[in-house]
Amino acid sequence: MIRKFGRFVNKMVSEACRHAVKYWSIFRISFQQEFAYRLSFILWRVRNVFQILLTYFLWSTVFINPGTQVFGYDRAKIITYVFGIMIVRALVFSARAMDVSRDVAQGDLSNYLLKPMNYFKYWFTRDVSSKALNLVFAAVEFFVLFLILKPPFFFQGNFTVLIAFLLTIILAILIYFFLLFLISSIPFWAPEIGWGSHFLITIVIIEAFSGALFPINILPHGFQTVIMATPFPYLIYFPIQVYLGNITGAALAGGLMVAIAWTGILWFSLNFIWQKGLKIYQAIGR
Amino acid sequence: MDKAIIVDGLAKNFEVTEKEPGLTGAFKSLFSPKKKEIHALKGISFTIQQGELVGFIGPNGAGKTTTLKTLSGLLYPTSGFVEVLEYDPWERKPEFLKQISLVMGQKNQLWWDLPAIETFELNKAIYEIPTHVYEENLKELVTLLEIEKLLETPVRKLSLGQRMRMELTAALLHKPKVLFLDEPTIGLDLIAQQKMRDFIYDYNRKYGATILLTSHNMDDLVNLARRVIVINQGAILFDGALEDLVTKYAKEKIIKATLSKEDGIAEIEKIGKVIKLVFPQVILSVPRAACAIAASELLQNFPVDDLTIEEIPIEDVIRKAFKSGLNK
Repeated sequence: MIRKFGRFVNKMVSEACRHAVKYWSIFRISFQQEFAYRLSFILWRVRNVFQILLTYFLWSTVFINPGTQVFGYDRAKIITYVFGIMIVRALVFSARAMDVSRDVAQGDLSNYLLKPMNYFKYWFTRDVSSKALNLVFAAVEFFVLFLILKPPFFFQGNFTVLIAFLLTIILAILIYFFLLFLISSIPFWAPEIGWGSHFLITIVIIEAFSGALFPINILPHGFQTVIMATPFPYLIYFPIQVYLGNITGAALAGGLMVAIAWTGILWFSLNFIWQKGLKIYQAIGR
Repeated sequence: MDKAIIVDGLAKNFEVTEKEPGLTGAFKSLFSPKKKEIHALKGISFTIQQGELVGFIGPNGAGKTTTLKTLSGLLYPTSGFVEVLEYDPWERKPEFLKQISLVMGQKNQLWWDLPAIETFELNKAIYEIPTHVYEENLKELVTLLEIEKLLETPVRKLSLGQRMRMELTAALLHKPKVLFLDEPTIGLDLIAQQKMRDFIYDYNRKYGATILLTSHNMDDLVNLARRVIVINQGAILFDGALEDLVTKYAKEKIIKATLSKEDGIAEIEKIGKVIKLVFPQVILSVPRAACAIAASELLQNFPVDDLTIEEIPIEDVIRKAFKSGLNK
């Protein structure tokens, strides 16, 4: 009995190890790939820094008079929000999975389908490697900008809040991953609008409603309620507010429920759509 | 068990949107897309034994690549039965995928910006190849394909021929039992083509691997495949030995003769259809059945130095067959 159990554990462990080795290799090669385009990566980081500076100076101008309060935000709060965006962006929005739409449209997906591995896990691993790399850079940028601008920043010390923040980040990463994959499935049916849909949804809609440009709660109340029912604010706005300690108790629990519900809904729809897509996949390009 | 591949009544339809040329056409197709169904495969059937090397021939768009893609699990069959190594390819079970490989001459799996060895290492992990097996296989492939010095070069800097050999290495590291090759010699120069053919032949012999290859290149088929499947417009026209294809569809034979004198040379056209007549050489085409008589007539009535009887070149047979439709 015990021996049987031991064998079972052994088998599970070796299985897990094999799995780990597989995806660790993908992580490594993905990391190398990012470095193959050093200049492009650096430009992407420069873009991020500019974006932060732009948002920073915009809000600094609004709050130029000390004591100004807009939409319930004072200078310190809004600056903390802007710096929060920097880190959360690197964690959530650093993803490679938009390349999937090109794989589908141009038939490169075939290469992956032929291999004994899970395509979702493959891209998730690549996303994680991209996040790791971007986080390192974002941390350095954060530090440098922090020294230059000396903003009034709020450091959260409450352990429970930090745990909740971590949870919101994990949910945000999953939601973003599933959203990207869903949009990337469009080319199964319409190969020519792969980038168009990414531009519209990933760049315009997600940027605007995730809270990456402004906190959602500066909007009119009715509008806010509608947005909070969509998955978008759970990408940036919600995690930052949780970090800042602005969402606690019942509001936190409620928000987490919505985020978890969206994670589930998106996961199921992705599986459904993906299976449908694979059936009509034409594996073009020879 | 000995059957590696079973295909029965396989059909595959594609839906394509048609677009008229130009900007107006683009707008029109945006609002009222014209859908058209293409029957890429119209119920084909064949079986392939383990260890067989079979060539797929047919013009562009005949359905060769579609068949390979369905057999390797990329395409979902519209109808019909497909089984490869006793698996349903569409399920793409890891145990199945570990035993097959599909190499497409115009699609690469190598990581473009990194040296090929990185892709090999990645495949080692993905296919879960034990280290000693991997090292052994890699060494063997690298030596056979002469790519030792190129392993550290980024793939984008390799020539097409070098890259194809890398692709093949990446596809064979896990020693697939069934190998699908789609145009393996496309774009390669003559020497590289020959090398590739030698390699495929050896691989088949050495490991008893089942190989199915498509090609436009008749040399590939003449040199490699004993059995050919001729496919046109989604239907199989011929399935059998290469020689049978020739005897069945080449109704004529070629007589080549070298003459010693030019006298009465015009009379020669009474014996058979003259293809070429430039003294001292004459080439005639005669019906298969009348071949022996024609040859003896030629020997008796003309000053012949040398005479050979040949089959029509396979390319001509196939070219002619596709022009007229084989079954007519």
